[in-house]
Amino acid sequence: MSVTHLAPSSRSRAHAASSISISDVSHTYGARTAGGMLALDGINLDIGDGEFHCLLGPSGCGKSTLLYLIGGFIPVQAGVISTSAGPVTAPGPDRSIVFQNFALFPWKTVKDNVLYGLKKAGIAGPEREQRAQRYIDMVHLTGFENAYPSQLSGGMQQRAAIARTLAVDPGILLMDEPFGALDAQTRRVMQEELRTIWRDSRKTVVFVTHDVQEAVFLADRISIMSARPGRIQHVIDVDLPKERGEEILENRDFIGLSEHIWRLVREQAVAATRGAH
Amino acid sequence: MMNMADAKPLAGAGKSPVQKAPRPSRPISPRMVDIAVQVAVVAALAGLWEFGARFGALNPFLLPPLSVVLGRIWEDLIAGTVPVDLGLTLYRALTGFAIGAVIGIPVGILMARSALVRWFFDPLVSIGFPMPKIAFLPIFILWFDIYDTSKIIMVAFSCFFPVVAATYAGCSSLDKWPIWSARSFGAKERELLWEVYLPMAMPQILTGLQVALPTGMITTIVTEMLMGGRGVGGAMIMAGRFADSVGVFAGIVQIIILGFVVVKSLEIVRRRLLIWHPESRK
Repeated sequence: MSVTHLAPSSRSRAHAASSISISDVSHTYGARTAGGMLALDGINLDIGDGEFHCLLGPSGCGKSTLLYLIGGFIPVQAGVISTSAGPVTAPGPDRSIVFQNFALFPWKTVKDNVLYGLKKAGIAGPEREQRAQRYIDMVHLTGFENAYPSQLSGGMQQRAAIARTLAVDPGILLMDEPFGALDAQTRRVMQEELRTIWRDSRKTVVFVTHDVQEAVFLADRISIMSARPGRIQHVIDVDLPKERGEEILENRDFIGLSEHIWRLVREQAVAATRGAH
Repeated sequence: MMNMADAKPLAGAGKSPVQKAPRPSRPISPRMVDIAVQVAVVAALAGLWEFGARFGALNPFLLPPLSVVLGRIWEDLIAGTVPVDLGLTLYRALTGFAIGAVIGIPVGILMARSALVRWFFDPLVSIGFPMPKIAFLPIFILWFDIYDTSKIIMVAFSCFFPVVAATYAGCSSLDKWPIWSARSFGAKERELLWEVYLPMAMPQILTGLQVALPTGMITTIVTEMLMGGRGVGGAMIMAGRFADSVGVFAGIVQIIILGFVVVKSLEIVRRRLLIWHPESRK
């Protein structure tokens, strides 16, 4: 944790954006037993400072595992993952995460959920309150500060989770299919908002998804992962305008790239299905 | 500006405007009907008791009329014995319950978190949970006098097991996501205990407490009956020895009222603590 946390400054940036370097990372579930399952096999990937990177692949390809390894939630068995702050060994507030199932604290109100991370970051007094309110307003949950998660819809819960994560201003934002549980319309709106938030804050984002269109819409670069064991098959640059709104869905480059990527992912998905039977 | 106190669950927060339906539009709620019917059933049974005994259908010595029993409670209330007995019984039950809970909750949490603690306590809890704890009373009398200490320890001992079992069950099936969230915000292992495990397991812990409390009440009455002295149980045994059936029934009525009040109070505490939980909005 950096000293900047303790400084009672009004600077909103607590963590500088950071690059991520993944070299030769493999991961086996149940490694200590005979029937261990190789989930990731020799992953090498460098994610740049301020890059929006999508990990795309069929379910079971280990993309969430890779994200949890970057997050420090599961220990790295083989290889090295490091950020600008050094090698990853444990979870930390420089790499905040949004989970698919929101993972809000159900016993806390929306506001207390957002305040939790700020308290842990050592931000005190009126600044803590103001910051919490600012992020709640940003995700359009104004008026729901005192609601409990169980009183909110899925989309609202996910917005609260995003506010909670963004409020601590992590340099790296990890997102594990954060919009997977949302309906199509909410999903679209959230994607646009996320893109705007990212553009304004210039964080490094690692975003896991199995939705090709979502990946192309959001990302600067996309890693396409193979079916089990997870390997990175292709890394694709998304050469589209920085400003992306609804209209980009009809952009010829967008459609062409989506189709291209869809074919690459399909090969992996087919392989995964065959492998499973 | 909002401060933290305003945002605490107990401040009655989180009620959406939808729930503030205007009262006159629903004069009789299903819940009120429920309560009315239940009160009517109790009243009917009380009436049956009263008139059955009064008109000779039942032997008034074996079953004295309710009014006579209530009259006795009133007399003893004025004489000052009822408040002392009830107070002592309540003190023993609640103190024992509190000790059992204060030891049982951390042990249950630690069992779920640490293999070492689990190895030590799991066999003890497995053996102790189904065992009639009152069998230990003679030992406790030998170890800790015949007065309050042994009674309270007996109650704590009987409350400990349901609390441990429920807390352990609650904490070992915790959803990992909120724990991961807290860790990613920089929560230390020790902070997790208070900030995440405890509130997350609170529904199950409260269920354990709700099992333990009546158990503690039963144990209190039984120890008082076995050991004599003041307290509702002791007073009932004394009345029984003097063939004072009115006195025995006076004790039973006091126990019923005491148990009802105590158990309902804990239900209110549960609703307060779990205001965030979907169960509170049924």
